[in-house]
Amino acid sequence: MPEKEPSICEEKIYNQLFKKHYEPVTKYIYYKCGSLQQAEDIVQNVFIKLWKLCATVTFSKAKAYIYKACNNLFLNDVAHQKVVLKHQQDIAKSTDYESPDFLIEVDEFREKLKAAINRLSVKEREVFLLSRIEKKTYREIAKLTGLTVKAIERRMSKALLELRDMLGKEIKL
Amino acid sequence: MDKNYNTDETFLARWISGELSEAERVAFEKTEAYKQFDIINKESQLLAGPDIDTEAALKLVTLKLQEQQKKPKIIRLWYAVAASIVILISLGTFLNSSKTHITGIGEKTHITLSDGSKVHLNANSSVSYKRFFWLGNKEVNLRGEAYFSVEKGDGFTVNTSKGHISVLGTQFNIKDRNELEVKCYEGKVSFIKSANASKTYILTSGMQVNVNDEHIYEGHFNHETPNWKDGISKFVNQPLSKVLEELTYIYPITFKTNSINTDRLFSGSFTHNNLNTALQTTLVPMGITYKKSPTSNVIILSE
Repeated sequence: MPEKEPSICEEKIYNQLFKKHYEPVTKYIYYKCGSLQQAEDIVQNVFIKLWKLCATVTFSKAKAYIYKACNNLFLNDVAHQKVVLKHQQDIAKSTDYESPDFLIEVDEFREKLKAAINRLSVKEREVFLLSRIEKKTYREIAKLTGLTVKAIERRMSKALLELRDMLGKEIKL
Repeated sequence: MDKNYNTDETFLARWISGELSEAERVAFEKTEAYKQFDIINKESQLLAGPDIDTEAALKLVTLKLQEQQKKPKIIRLWYAVAASIVILISLGTFLNSSKTHITGIGEKTHITLSDGSKVHLNANSSVSYKRFFWLGNKEVNLRGEAYFSVEKGDGFTVNTSKGHISVLGTQFNIKDRNELEVKCYEGKVSFIKSANASKTYILTSGMQVNVNDEHIYEGHFNHETPNWKDGISKFVNQPLSKVLEELTYIYPITFKTNSINTDRLFSGSFTHNNLNTALQTTLVPMGITYKKSPTSNVIILSE
């Protein structure tokens, strides 16, 4: 019998879980639905539910529960608005050799890249952004989504192919 | 044939994660498409996720939890309180409800109360009392005229618009018309104008009290039952106006008095069972001629 798990019903433990998982799971839902407001609402509702179920959800299963519940809530949100992801552009690492003209082109390209990502299907976008922005491995993504690593790799490859289809013309070589 | 991004559905994924074999990678990097994929990959990695304020969210969730934990209980409690109030009010209203007996013009009735006391109700009058627990507080509200024959017991009170009559096993008549008249036929009655009035009038057999808005008169009489109970109304030196008023309680008529002086005093009586006889016995001795309108119940008076 392993050591007794900490109880989620304890406020300290609950807050600890919240601080650990709130941001990544919100991002995960955001990459799916494209609305930060909606994503935050979903995740907050799940955390409220988690508190009420604190006696039945064990500490070790909490993370799985949170992701699963958020995903279900997202799927239930039938009327979710059209995906409009607003990626915040990191301030581009300025490279000395870039001419002002080139910077404008790069900005334009980045806008088009964002638009293209928004046009990906939910399944592809979720994998692509978790991998590229959150730097998660395929194994981690597979665990989050409950799919096989192979399936994640297929979605990742498909996402890249589609992005190239949409953006290939924009890339001058 | 070498695998490439078109034939192998995991090829690009493996390239991104650096899992391609050396041969695969070298071959891939030579293609035109590679440069496009490379730019897409590099640019994508420069994107950032949304800014998320975990602390603010935790505060919000804590607040929502506190609200939700309080609310249901409060709501349920309020529902319970509201429901209880409604039940209590309706039960109270029901238990407190009154039974009312009303007589119209020319009607008479008698009622036996639950303590055996009898109430004879004259025309155009009403009596009401509590439907339940009446024995605990024997109160009767009277409008108009009634003769009470009260069984011996504690605290029987009649409330009228002009005062309260309390009794202890007795027979008395109360007439609350324009003025209030209380006549005691047997036993003892007390009259008080209001709960905080200083003077209480005690009436014994043969005594009466008359109350109008300004004055209270005490007097005596010597008949044994009120005349109305025998089907007549009797007056001794009463203004004509009172006689006419009394007639309208017994018969469904109204008077048009024109210029007639109704302050003149009348002594006599009228019967309750014949309008013509009643009119003759009251008006002819006063030297008043009357005409009955053929279409309505208006009696037109003239000298």
